[in-house]
Amino acid sequence: MAQKTYMQALNDAMREEMERDPNVLIFGEDVGQFGGCFGVTKGLFDQFGERRVRDTPITESAIVGAATGAAAAGLRPVCELMFVDFIGVSMDQLFNQAAKMRYMFGGKTTIPMVLRAPQGGGIGAAAQHSQSLESWFMHIPGLKVVMPATPEDAYGLLISAIRDDNPVVFLEHKMLYGVEGEVPDNAGPIPFGKARIHREGTDVTIVALSKMVYSALEAAETLAAKGISAEVVDPRTVSPLDMDSILTSVKKTHSLVIAHEAVKIAGAGAEIAAQVAEDAIDYLDAPIMRVGAPFVPVPFSPPLEEAFLPNAEDIVAAVEKIRS
Amino acid sequence: MKTVGIIANPISGKDIRRLVAHGSVFDNQEKVRIVRRLLVGLASVGIERVIFMPDYYAIVQRAHKGIHSPIEIASAPMCAENTQEDSTKAARLMVDAGVGCIFVLGGDGTSRAVAKGNAVVPILPLSTGTNNVFPYMIEATVAGLAGGVLTSGQISVEEGCFRSPVLEVLDDDNNLVDIALVDAAVHTDTFVGSKAIWSMKQITQIVLTRCRPDSIGLSAIGGQLHTLTPQEHRGLHLILGPGGKRVLSPIAPGLIEPVDIALEDHLTLGQSIRVDQSPCVIALDGEREVEVKRGAHVHIRFSDRGPWVVDVSKVMALAQQAGIFVQPR
Amino acid sequence: MTIKKKTMVQMYNTMYRIRQFEKKLQEFFAAGKIPGFVHLYLGEEAVAAGTCAALNKEDYITSTHRGHGHLIAKGGDLKLMMAEIYGKSTGYCKGKGGSMHIADVDLGILGANGIVGGGGPIAAGAGMAIQYRGEDRVAVCFFGDGASNQGTTQEALNLASAWNLPVVFVNENNGYGISCPISKSMAITDIADRAAGYDMPGVIVDGNDVVAVYEAITAAVERARKGEGPSLVECKTYRWRGHFEGDACTYRSDDELDEWVKKDPIPRFAKKLLDDGILTQKELDKLNADIDDELAAAITFAEESPLPEPADMFDDVYA
Repeated sequence: MAQKTYMQALNDAMREEMERDPNVLIFGEDVGQFGGCFGVTKGLFDQFGERRVRDTPITESAIVGAATGAAAAGLRPVCELMFVDFIGVSMDQLFNQAAKMRYMFGGKTTIPMVLRAPQGGGIGAAAQHSQSLESWFMHIPGLKVVMPATPEDAYGLLISAIRDDNPVVFLEHKMLYGVEGEVPDNAGPIPFGKARIHREGTDVTIVALSKMVYSALEAAETLAAKGISAEVVDPRTVSPLDMDSILTSVKKTHSLVIAHEAVKIAGAGAEIAAQVAEDAIDYLDAPIMRVGAPFVPVPFSPPLEEAFLPNAEDIVAAVEKIRS
Repeated sequence: MKTVGIIANPISGKDIRRLVAHGSVFDNQEKVRIVRRLLVGLASVGIERVIFMPDYYAIVQRAHKGIHSPIEIASAPMCAENTQEDSTKAARLMVDAGVGCIFVLGGDGTSRAVAKGNAVVPILPLSTGTNNVFPYMIEATVAGLAGGVLTSGQISVEEGCFRSPVLEVLDDDNNLVDIALVDAAVHTDTFVGSKAIWSMKQITQIVLTRCRPDSIGLSAIGGQLHTLTPQEHRGLHLILGPGGKRVLSPIAPGLIEPVDIALEDHLTLGQSIRVDQSPCVIALDGEREVEVKRGAHVHIRFSDRGPWVVDVSKVMALAQQAGIFVQPR
Repeated sequence: MTIKKKTMVQMYNTMYRIRQFEKKLQEFFAAGKIPGFVHLYLGEEAVAAGTCAALNKEDYITSTHRGHGHLIAKGGDLKLMMAEIYGKSTGYCKGKGGSMHIADVDLGILGANGIVGGGGPIAAGAGMAIQYRGEDRVAVCFFGDGASNQGTTQEALNLASAWNLPVVFVNENNGYGISCPISKSMAITDIADRAAGYDMPGVIVDGNDVVAVYEAITAAVERARKGEGPSLVECKTYRWRGHFEGDACTYRSDDELDEWVKKDPIPRFAKKLLDDGILTQKELDKLNADIDDELAAAITFAEESPLPEPADMFDDVYA
């Protein structure tokens, strides 16, 4: 058992997979000697050289498209978008090409690629460098969408992503890179579509994504002090989405709050809420509440950004509202 | 109205020799800039009108649009078919329209197409092609001055131009099939294909109207052995193969090959060579052009019925002597 | 360049296969037998035939929305293609792709593509995989004059050139992006002129002359195999039909079409084969008849094949 940062866990996962499989290679903007804009690929260039850790021009369509083509030709590329916000430049290559090739071709190809991208606010990067866009990706059949919250999950899920034969969008929260946590030695891959129950409880289920897992745990502490037992469920992947675990928890607690940093409207929470409503409404004792960002672009100035980002207090307030 | 013609080939400088050799990609924007400089030169010596060959890039119109030129431009009355026949046809129409000089932007191939349509009016070929032996590598502004003073009659054609020799390709019945200005080669291919030639392995004979040691293309092969100016009207016939000399020759831009010459012979005006090999393709000025079917034959005749060509250096020297560009203060 | 007789015959065979296949589709579409819509390759056959004759089976291609010709030329099975276009479960894509999405990765076909300019980055990626593994292969990206204006295409050209990838960009300049002539969509007329900006050779060939296309692509492929990087070959051609079947072509004149029909690449090449004694008339007739028979069998196969079951839609979303 080792204590690692989220970033180190990601770096270790890539290193180990590259050591294991010669078909794994990394490319993206400044991922080489520079080590990535946030430092996630640091040291990999030195170990594996330019052939396997390659800087690209600033050319997002070509990055995602080349990963798609290289994957169709049998490699396992791990490419990095410097910020998830840049996906707009390359969206066609992801959602019309990578995601659909297998299906359109009648199952005759596989596209084993990983698109790593940091998302989320908190660093004063404003509207084009701070979004959380998981709902865009989970809307597209053919993509898998991963959102690890802890170093252990970051490590295990990235290994799974690299070994997966489908295009995987791997969304890292940039505020989590420095978070430390236990990562078991030789932990190996963590399967997609299996939620992690971070805290068991009996009164309310809080489904939280990515960094909001920490807010949910903090909220659960506050609620515990008030005599409310909250269960914190992290789906870890939103496509596939482990509805079984969420439904099991809801059937036990009879109430549900969903928390994510993305804009609340048409966010992942809307989908989770709808599925719970369809499959377990009779178990609910209260309306489902969502905690998410307001329907505005991510603002720049610190007080604005702070007000924009959902937090533990919002979760507590949501729980208290449905229990009042 | 003092009128000149401009034939600017939009497709010159883009053939396969960019792939098999290291030819420059000669883009059409560059041709537009060259025509602009030409127009400036022409206007300064009083040329009033330009008749141009229509082309799909509209080289001359674009050039004219980009500058405030007093020169009026008009298209030759034809539709562009986007083949080399356009150049031939345009040249004919320009002769009919009474132009004093035809400027040609292209390579050896373009000049050849123009010469097919005109042996009367002097041509001034500017290099924008691949293997440039016939056209000049000179500044278009100066070309405009030279062609302009010639057109305005300040220098006569007899003084400032020379008559280029030509190679006439004739069929068995002595009908003229095609011409070459610089070189004709017998090629073992049976198809024209992408036209350009780049492999000496497939060439068995070469006939040249001119050659110099500092030349490029097939004439460079002869140029390693002899110097023949276009003014002296003496040709050269080379039969390739072992048994004779081997010369290292720049046969295309960025492509140098040793070439074995089995036999060499000078040609005089009117002399012709019978090509017994068939099937074959006759390459003219570096491009496969004439397919000779099995059993057929062609003759290549060295003739002086080529086009009049402006000798730019000579015209400018005569202009200097006459003080044409010396102005009162 | 010496071209083997076998290659010459193969190129004719390919062009004729494409021609007949597309003519049938034209007929079937008009008769309402084909769902969706089709973009026919009629008139442009020499580009696909000349290009693919210069490739090996292991080489990759990315194709376009007008892709039937590329697929046939790369060795696509007429039965499976026809069944796919009919939407049958026996088709290349089990009826889930249709005309614009046929692929056969075993033949190096990384897919036709419904997005104009979609294939460029994918071809660059295939080129990257070839370079990474040090293989003796190339990737060919077919793209049109319309696609040449897409950012994806420019990004792919740049990446291929920056990384010296073994990619040959084959531009099919048929003069129109849907209804819009190139005079309205770009300031230049020759796509090859753009190559200079990427430090790669750009050449123009007569796209209706299969031998000219073959020679140029062979040279470009040879460069790529030798590690000399990408090239751009612009093939000037014309589509005889509208952008899609049903397009009334109000944006162009009949005269223009007639001029190009006179440059039909197929009779021109057939005459060459006969004149040069590469094929006798009898052999040519037999070759044509064999293709017609194969096509008839493909049509029967497609027509008699079952449609997919609704539940089949759930297959193949994920590996």
